[in-house]
Amino acid sequence: MPYLVHGLSVAIALLVCLLSLGLVLGLLLSVAEVYGHWTLRIPCTVFERIFRGIPAIVLLLLFYYGVTDFIEMGSFMAAVLALGLRSAAYQSQIFRGAFLSVPQGQMMAARAMGMNKFQAIRDIVLPQALRMSIGPWTNEFSSELKATSLAYVIGVVELTRQAKYIISNTQGNILIVFAVVALMYFIVNRAGNWALYRLENRLALPGFEHRGDA
Amino acid sequence: MLLRVENIHKSYGDAEILKGVSFDMEPGQSKVIMGPSGTGKSTLLRCINHLTEPDQGHVFVDGEELTSKNLNAMRQKVAFVFQDFNLFTHLRTVDNVAIGPRKLRGFDKKAALDLAYQELDRVGLSDRADAYPAELSGGQQQRASIARALAMEPKLILFDEPTSALDPELTGEVVSVMNKLASEGMTMLVVSHEIGFARQAADEIIFMEGGKIIEQGPPSQIFEAPQQDRTRAFLNVIEHGGHE
Repeated sequence: MPYLVHGLSVAIALLVCLLSLGLVLGLLLSVAEVYGHWTLRIPCTVFERIFRGIPAIVLLLLFYYGVTDFIEMGSFMAAVLALGLRSAAYQSQIFRGAFLSVPQGQMMAARAMGMNKFQAIRDIVLPQALRMSIGPWTNEFSSELKATSLAYVIGVVELTRQAKYIISNTQGNILIVFAVVALMYFIVNRAGNWALYRLENRLALPGFEHRGDA
Repeated sequence: MLLRVENIHKSYGDAEILKGVSFDMEPGQSKVIMGPSGTGKSTLLRCINHLTEPDQGHVFVDGEELTSKNLNAMRQKVAFVFQDFNLFTHLRTVDNVAIGPRKLRGFDKKAALDLAYQELDRVGLSDRADAYPAELSGGQQQRASIARALAMEPKLILFDEPTSALDPELTGEVVSVMNKLASEGMTMLVVSHEIGFARQAADEIIFMEGGKIIEQGPPSQIFEAPQQDRTRAFLNVIEHGGHE
């Protein structure tokens, strides 16, 4: 059991790292796709298409066996990069949709009062877009939590791999060990979603739009 | 001269919306632009602060020409009030008014809020300062957006059909705020069919049709003795409660 808890902590560390990388990069990508000059938009769109178009497991193998030939890095780092860049591509689409759903009049009013484009995005559009992103982002959180188990194939000793070790070392009961593992993923998933829904409700604008509590 | 608009042209594809519009405004004047729908009134207003870029022509504010280089600085002098308000939905009413002074005019937080409360008081909305835009009625939203414009302490305010999105019983509160501003000496250029405001507060009516100014003059002349048949016909329609 302590091995599983350790495995879980590795999985959570991987999740936090990859989601953070994905958040920062995904936001930048979405801003470039929505507001950028075409010279910026095209490379960003190409990046996003590539990383959304390749299976996570193939990306993991590519980064671990391919990229590590050129740049020295451990399996954990390779997993953060492979899954984080992929998450950035998915998150960019969440944010892109959110940016586009902010009415154009908001940008227009900001520009009309003399804000430059950057100020208008940062102070007016972004705070509204982020609020709308939380809902879809819970979905990304769930997918990526489960995707951390794939890092198993490149030797990251996360939860799923720990379970495999326990089974092979102790001839433990496969069903019981994996049932415990499944429960652990499930609990983290529920807890994360609960926290995100709370955040969404806390940030909801009075009189605007409320979901699920009508 | 506060505003000089010189020979503005604007086309969308083959359709020429503005066919060379020129006029001037002195400080403290209020002018109302009237005319049938699709005549380019709103496009003209947007061309003045380059929310729509004119194809040709020049705009001077306080003697300085508006260009792509000084655009943001000039827009701070020329406030814009929209037909559909466009209040920032994520900010409380008072923060909507404070954000301009705070982010653009270098005010610290407290000074910006103080100014915002003052401007809300001017439009009679002090009691709704903490409400979010979605909690306000249409008339209240439009008054808040006027307060947001005032907080920039602009030289000139452009109003783009400020009462068209409002129920008839709500237009009165917005018109009375506008009347008050005009009497306080605010320079205002208003696209509107609001006869009440035009008669009471306007120094001049500009009548447009087909992308050109057909007739302009003081309200007494335009309403009592219009020179052009088209002006007469149009006024007949709106004075009898119709909508062009």
